Amino acid sequence: MEPLTRKGLVDRPGALGVLLFLLVGGGLTAQQVASVSETPSSASLPFAETPNYLADEIDAYESFMMSGGPPPDGIPAIDAPRFIDASEADLDPSEIVIGFHHQGEARAYPQLIMVHHEIVNDQVGGLNVAITYCPLTATAQGFKRGDTTLGVSGQLLNSNVVMFDRETESFFSQITATGIRGEHRGRTLDEVNVYWTTWERWLAAFPETQVLSERTGHLRNYSRDPYGSYAPLGGYYQEDRTIFPLMHSSNRHHAKTMVVGGRTESGSAYFVLDELRDEEVQTTESFRGVYDPVLDTGYLYRADHDLGEISPMGDGIYEVDGQAYAAGELPLEKVIPVEAFFFAWHAFYPDSERP
Amino acid sequence: MRSGALATLRAILRVTAYRRLALGLGGVYLILFLVALQDITAGGRGWAFLTTDLSRMWERTGAFTFEPVAQLTLPGFTILFSPLNIALGSFLAALAGLNLVVTWIAFRQPRACRFNRSTGILASVPALLAGGACCAPAVVLILGLQLSSLMVSVFQILIPLSLILLVLALKLILDRTDPALLEV
Repeated sequence: MEPLTRKGLVDRPGALGVLLFLLVGGGLTAQQVASVSETPSSASLPFAETPNYLADEIDAYESFMMSGGPPPDGIPAIDAPRFIDASEADLDPSEIVIGFHHQGEARAYPQLIMVHHEIVNDQVGGLNVAITYCPLTATAQGFKRGDTTLGVSGQLLNSNVVMFDRETESFFSQITATGIRGEHRGRTLDEVNVYWTTWERWLAAFPETQVLSERTGHLRNYSRDPYGSYAPLGGYYQEDRTIFPLMHSSNRHHAKTMVVGGRTESGSAYFVLDELRDEEVQTTESFRGVYDPVLDTGYLYRADHDLGEISPMGDGIYEVDGQAYAAGELPLEKVIPVEAFFFAWHAFYPDSERP
Repeated sequence: MRSGALATLRAILRVTAYRRLALGLGGVYLILFLVALQDITAGGRGWAFLTTDLSRMWERTGAFTFEPVAQLTLPGFTILFSPLNIALGSFLAALAGLNLVVTWIAFRQPRACRFNRSTGILASVPALLAGGACCAPAVVLILGLQLSSLMVSVFQILIPLSLILLVLALKLILDRTDPALLEV
């Protein structure tokens, strides 16, 4: 079969549908995902060794997925990002940036640029990564991408962006990091830790950071967020409402409450960021959450280790067994944290543990 | 459009005042359309004029919206120039302008036009609701609506829907307008 080009994907949604129909094996359950994930057929898109826990079956995700309006690549990912030095960046201290660092290189991706593109296919410290952001769910997540690139499919699942890889045109749900249609259905992308923080905090932590340039190769008004604003908080980001249908909904918190969620192969948990900030350390049956005041974020660890108490010493330093550690360096097995609006986390993980 | 309707339209456009009115209203409609599509937006830092590869004008950003190939940034607002959006908007604006003029004639000269006077105005509205912000129609964000997949599908056809309604409304209203009774 002649492979669909990117342009073909845009111009021939019908052909894409047929291709995906042929590729979709159908009938995979959440329990069957493990065996699929262990045998990836593509060497270029890396996958996690163990798949993420899913609260619903993939069939349910696929049938609930809906168009958000734009066609594939209608929201164009930045495939050839340019960067400027921090000293050249014209950012307000309170402006939100998505941060990532690897092998001594640090990047800041301004939210005001990301809101128009949602994905940057980048290489940081020699690692090919896709930095992704969904404005409707406030989720910034990073994925190893191998030799391929990720694009925005135009589909949504629980208001959350559905991405596709340009090699196989498989669809992936961002929050679950899981393939929901196509050749990679059921596989979990290999995630990297990205940070949702302010420019002021990121710059203080990484003074040598580079900043995504507004010269993206696309023409947009990068001084404007069409949904609202984070500084000051306003518009969609402040309102206790959602736009698209959700698989699971709850009134336990305001819809746009920021939570730090995590999942392993067997379960999930979330911590309300405001509460984690106050208490500094929180524990569920399977997870521990630790607050980091440097970037105003949370780190998550598995709680299945027989480790003593984690005691805050201030400034993001914690004492464990008489030793001092930074919030992100505790001698525990890390879980990739995902900051998200509560409604979005709950829509995917309604059975999450909480402190 | 029947020859009778076209003859009426020609009769209307022969009147300079009506022609200017149609042009003015059409111009306002085009600006509103581009604002709705978010090709004209508030917010801009400094002065800048940027261009990109012309071939990108064919890339779709929505069902009937397309990529810009030039950007003018002024203090306070930004204009994106998408040739296909402007072409589509101009066509809609011409139809909307004509509809609004005949609607105005109907108000001014009820003897000349026997038709529901709001038809032309209503027909011009759907395209103004078609603009979107990445994943969500702008009107949904503004009004705080919740969307079903059916509503998303409807939003995707608002522009052609407006086009059809504007042509139909113009034809119907012109069919019921007596060119002999037109006065300035």
